[in-house]
Amino acid sequence: MGWLFVALAAVFEFIGVIGLNKYSKRKTIPTGFMFLGGFGLSFVFLYSSFQYLQVSTAYAVWIGIGTAGAVLLNMIFFGESKSLARIGSLALIIVGVIGLKALS
Amino acid sequence: MKKAWLYVAATSFFELVWIFGFNVASVWWHWIPIVLFIFVDFHFLSKACETLPTGTVYAIFAAIGTVGTALMDVFFFDQTLSGGKIFFIVLLVAGVIGLKLADGHDEKIAAEGNR
Repeated sequence: MGWLFVALAAVFEFIGVIGLNKYSKRKTIPTGFMFLGGFGLSFVFLYSSFQYLQVSTAYAVWIGIGTAGAVLLNMIFFGESKSLARIGSLALIIVGVIGLKALS
Repeated sequence: MKKAWLYVAATSFFELVWIFGFNVASVWWHWIPIVLFIFVDFHFLSKACETLPTGTVYAIFAAIGTVGTALMDVFFFDQTLSGGKIFFIVLLVAGVIGLKLADGHDEKIAAEGNR
């Protein structure tokens, strides 16, 4: 049950990130709704997962999937740079975020 | 370009403010400024994405939030800073610096291509 909530939280985080990209380019009510609604629901599901899982574990998985997903989605759908230096730096951040959250 | 990084700094700062708020909120009205700060924070987050790649901004946003909460736990809430935590903090900082350099490089190439 807890992992289902984490999965839902990650999916809504992706929606929030896509909304963030779209909203920053065109500030309309639908894009703003996607941006804030995505992140809002993501937090709600993450918070719900805390009832079943350890906070640090749920947090680490959520933020790791979310950050990696944000990067990949933007590379695939919005044509962001796929340079090796960028991918390497992002990998460091993702590993660091997951590791630090898992320990906290 | 410079301005965009100021927005990244602003969104990271306000993120830490509301995370701190989450930790110390004890009365219902504390949540009013917290929610306000979240909206201000997300405003700057979207401003930063107007000129920088969203993937970059979001990764840095997550990184600073993570390092910030870990340090906040140590300095304000009496937790210990283990070797493992320090290792991941160094990794994160290296990643953020690398990303800033990499994107700066990509931008230069793009600017030259546009000429």
